[in-house]
Amino acid sequence: MSGAHTLPNQLPPIHSFLTTRPQTTLSRLYARPSACLAVFRLLDDVARQIVMSLLWLDSKTGVDLTSWVAPNETARKHYTAAVQGLVRLHIAKDGNGRILVLPAFQAGLRRALTGGGDHRSFGVPFPIARGKDAMTTEQLDDYALERWESILHFMVTSGSAVGRVAPPSNAVIFLLRRSGLMVPIGVEKSPESRITSQGFQFLLEDSHTQLWDLLLQYLAMSENEGRDLVEVIGFLFMLGSMRLGQEYSTENLSDTQNVMLQDFLDYGLIYRRYPDDGTRFYPTRLATTLTSTSSLSFTSSKHEKAASEGFIILETNYRLYAYTENPLQVAVLNLFVTLHSRFENLVVGRVTRESIKGALANGITADQIISYLTVHAHPMMHKNSPVLPVTVQDQIRLWELENNRLKSDNGYLYEDFNSQGDFDLVLSYAKQLDVVLWENREKRKMFVREDGHENVREFIRRRAEA
Amino acid sequence: MSLPAHLSLILDLSPVPWTALSHSTPPLSLRAFLAQALVFLNAHLALRNENSVSVFGALPGRSVGLYPPPGRGHGHGRRQAGGEEEGSGGGDENTFHVFGQADEGLMSRVEEEVAGLEEVEEDTPPALVGALTKSLCYINRLSNPPPPLNPTNAAPAPPHARIVLFSVSQDASMAYIPFMNCIFSAQKLKVPIDVCKLDDSEVIFLHQASHLTGGAFVHIDQREALLQYLSMCFLSETETRKTLAVPTQDKVDFRAACFCHKEIVDIGYVCSVCLSIFCTPVAQCSTCHTKFSPDTLLRFGGSATNGHSNGTTA
Repeated sequence: MSGAHTLPNQLPPIHSFLTTRPQTTLSRLYARPSACLAVFRLLDDVARQIVMSLLWLDSKTGVDLTSWVAPNETARKHYTAAVQGLVRLHIAKDGNGRILVLPAFQAGLRRALTGGGDHRSFGVPFPIARGKDAMTTEQLDDYALERWESILHFMVTSGSAVGRVAPPSNAVIFLLRRSGLMVPIGVEKSPESRITSQGFQFLLEDSHTQLWDLLLQYLAMSENEGRDLVEVIGFLFMLGSMRLGQEYSTENLSDTQNVMLQDFLDYGLIYRRYPDDGTRFYPTRLATTLTSTSSLSFTSSKHEKAASEGFIILETNYRLYAYTENPLQVAVLNLFVTLHSRFENLVVGRVTRESIKGALANGITADQIISYLTVHAHPMMHKNSPVLPVTVQDQIRLWELENNRLKSDNGYLYEDFNSQGDFDLVLSYAKQLDVVLWENREKRKMFVREDGHENVREFIRRRAEA
Repeated sequence: MSLPAHLSLILDLSPVPWTALSHSTPPLSLRAFLAQALVFLNAHLALRNENSVSVFGALPGRSVGLYPPPGRGHGHGRRQAGGEEEGSGGGDENTFHVFGQADEGLMSRVEEEVAGLEEVEEDTPPALVGALTKSLCYINRLSNPPPPLNPTNAAPAPPHARIVLFSVSQDASMAYIPFMNCIFSAQKLKVPIDVCKLDDSEVIFLHQASHLTGGAFVHIDQREALLQYLSMCFLSETETRKTLAVPTQDKVDFRAACFCHKEIVDIGYVCSVCLSIFCTPVAQCSTCHTKFSPDTLLRFGGSATNGHSNGTTA
């Protein structure tokens, strides 16, 4: 969903990561056409158009595109932000308004668009297996979903004593702990983990964002382990440009990439038809949609299909009906809904003050709850505008505000003034600075914010000296 | 912001102007043009996973759908042209799999069609209207997918569609009425028609098409830089155009063709009832059979024998 919600000046997470890398790393990355294509696809619309406009020019000095920008303030801002993004990613250079696509990226993207060459960066397809040997996209989707949801389900049930599910592999747990989504219970080496408030927030995001969150942690981890970042990112982007339902060969992969393959097996990004056969693999939809800006849509044969398209009905009386039999979704709902009854394909619950308070205590915010409910609202709910009943939305926000009844400010208390005159003089000075939080003329006391303390104290000292 | 986009290309494939173009300076052969058009299609597909394309050809006297290949399911209600559902082809390790699909068929299809033309056909004007209509029908079907069988499934958002028309021959004024109808349908579907003019002939209807639908109109002056023109002017999507503008025609020729002789007229006579256009005052409207009053006829033509309509058109 990153494309739909980001402001023009916000880069997708992977790009923010890339901008912190040195230019040499990026130049090496851009030598792979698949990486260029992936980076390009994750740019926002305007940036993409800028790159496209300049891609086939052989100018050495760049081109001034400002005359193409629509003559209004928003367009100009959008354009400037897009250019800045491109410069930070070392895709383009901006010399006094003349923009030039850097040769490394230009060559890579040109190669990607025209095809050909022998870079093999789009993955080497394995000779097709026909008949019962080939995997269908539905099977792959089922597998990927099952893997991914088992990780999330493990997270959501880790805090409670009941309904625990088998933990995923140690590598996955290590990554979850590293990213701060889970913490070990008790001692550092403890095998048991508990979900953190960050983890709860993570659960309410859509799977595309979740996946990138984890993969960024994976990138950081790989870097710490001394792996070549270009190979790691390059492989991610290669996966992102593969075709679902096609088996690929590992023959052109480096050692690093073979290790990654093993890791990604745990996340459900890839599938091995024959677990012992290390020479081929299938990418799943989690992998092939990495470079897509929209959220995942599985064509799974199972019930997940309906569930991924919205299943929640919320009424103005705070009753909630969720048409799902997916244990993960029930578990996530259980975070902020008091569930009453469970049927074959339906869960009925109620949004209550206690349930919301419980969620808030876990670090989930009201906005996250509301956005989760909105995103997963049943298609019937979309006939209403706004989708969720206003009363319920407001009440959830009010419950959140209850937590914030006390507001704390650091500051200094001034008291024991000699005379009312002194007090009034200091008070009026402090009021000019707008740093007074509280005052009481009768008791000659006032409370000054921390940032005003220096000035007020200085003022009093100067008065005392004079 | 990130709705999928559909790009529909309409290629004017009349052999005579293409032969002329390949011998002009700088030369642009059909083959070279197609190669650049393919890169342009690839660029469009590269923008987003869900983007899709269709290609229609206007041959002398008839129009054909070139891509997606006829007979194949278009994956309704699913992703179009993502191509993930079709497991055909071994793939190529050096090409993005989405690109390969469009590339394969298109080139050979076009050559097949052009080679299959008969001598006699070559003088008839290209069936641009036919191709445009097919393209609009295709877009209409994409934007109104059949209701899903399972009503709990929300239908996917319809794509933003756009038409890019490559013209190499001059207007056929015979086709004025159906052409205008196409423009109106495009307006109704909110589909901009971009026009890319490759030769120097006069095309006032295409001016009007791009102007009325809010599309770009570009006359290619330097044909050797075609790809640059394509990616700079025709690639940007409807949303992007709000930020980065595309060239439009500032002088639009709004002249219409008369309904009686299909000729472009400077001053026309418009039926006050059905708005049909005639080059000379007539006694009775040929479209709606309204009889005009002799007084009005007198005022316009002076020839008192027959009725006239009122008003002029520009």
